Amino acid sequence: MLRLSLISNLVLALIAALASAQESPYFVTYDHHMEEPGMLEVAVNPLFGVPKQGNRSIATYLELEYGAKGWWSTALYLDGQSTSRESGGFTGYRLENRFRLLMKEHWINPVFYVEFADVNGADKIAKEIVGFDGWRDLVEPVAESRHEKKREIETKLILSNNTRGWNFAGNLIAERHLNAAPWEFGYALATSRPLALAATASECRLCPENLTLGIELYGGLGEEGQITLSETSHYIAPTLAWSLPNGMTLRLSPGWGLTGNSNRAFVRFGVAYEGRLFR
Amino acid sequence: MKRATLFLAILAATCRTATVPEQAANPYAGQSEAVRAGAKLFRAHCAACHGASAEGIADAPSLKTEKVHERSDAALFSFLTNGDLKRGMPSWSRLPDERRWQIVAFLRSLRS
Repeated sequence: MLRLSLISNLVLALIAALASAQESPYFVTYDHHMEEPGMLEVAVNPLFGVPKQGNRSIATYLELEYGAKGWWSTALYLDGQSTSRESGGFTGYRLENRFRLLMKEHWINPVFYVEFADVNGADKIAKEIVGFDGWRDLVEPVAESRHEKKREIETKLILSNNTRGWNFAGNLIAERHLNAAPWEFGYALATSRPLALAATASECRLCPENLTLGIELYGGLGEEGQITLSETSHYIAPTLAWSLPNGMTLRLSPGWGLTGNSNRAFVRFGVAYEGRLFR
Repeated sequence: MKRATLFLAILAATCRTATVPEQAANPYAGQSEAVRAGAKLFRAHCAACHGASAEGIADAPSLKTEKVHERSDAALFSFLTNGDLKRGMPSWSRLPDERRWQIVAFLRSLRS
């Protein structure tokens, strides 16, 4: 955990001088906006999990996202966690690619997402909720769960629309362990809008144009042969993004569980920088 | 039947492009405040590729050329919205319409 934190801080410090970010406020839902070609985004996103029973935890992931093409973004995630009264450490990595399917802006813009994850059972970043994920996943003792290997493939169909300053996004998620387990399904829905649509002429920090408010709704949809809302977990999470003139974006999203199988709450934070990697 | 209808509705929506009429006027045309706001947006989002003075860097062209300025405001707005993804120009649809028009107002000011 300490090592992950040191790497995160070092990379952030290196990138800070280059930064220029305009981030979506979403933590779970993806919209159709890709990383600009040649740009590298570095983000650290801690998550405080409050399960219904058991120990609280902090999970975090370092995200390195690169705009390979105007229609293709690729990202590496390094995950870690620390659980109170238990242990912490590195929990695995994820490789993600997103492909914009249409080259022009449309009323609905589809994006195909594919991710490979190699994590252990102690991973708690809850970047998406699928199948019958629930609060019991967070309270499993780390000493046991970290021995569980999870190699997963995850796909998403991302549909997103911009209308009059609003963004509306919906994701359909399908995830499968590579050891021939059934496909698990999930969804994420979100909308957001900057507090002011036009920019002011002067530089400002805490002004409406730099603040974007949104809300996310996400949860599981059961699994192959058993698509259902019963015994699944669902969350509602308002989100706030604050884009600073120096290029840093801060994000905050408290989320609450909506069903008996959900965790009581999640609180997500995010710090992101974006800079040009190659000229 | 419901699934097929939903699929067709999404398909129809993805076929509808987000364009503005060629004769659409920039609501901020000639407004000095908007030009300054556009300059600020340009520094934040465009200068990394096109240069601080829009002179162009490497593959990102200069935005001071006649080729840019002979295009209508609506055409520039549409180009900012859609980008040219295969040639490296990203879509800036993540910025609200108002801010893209402010950038167009700033680009117009470069002619003089």
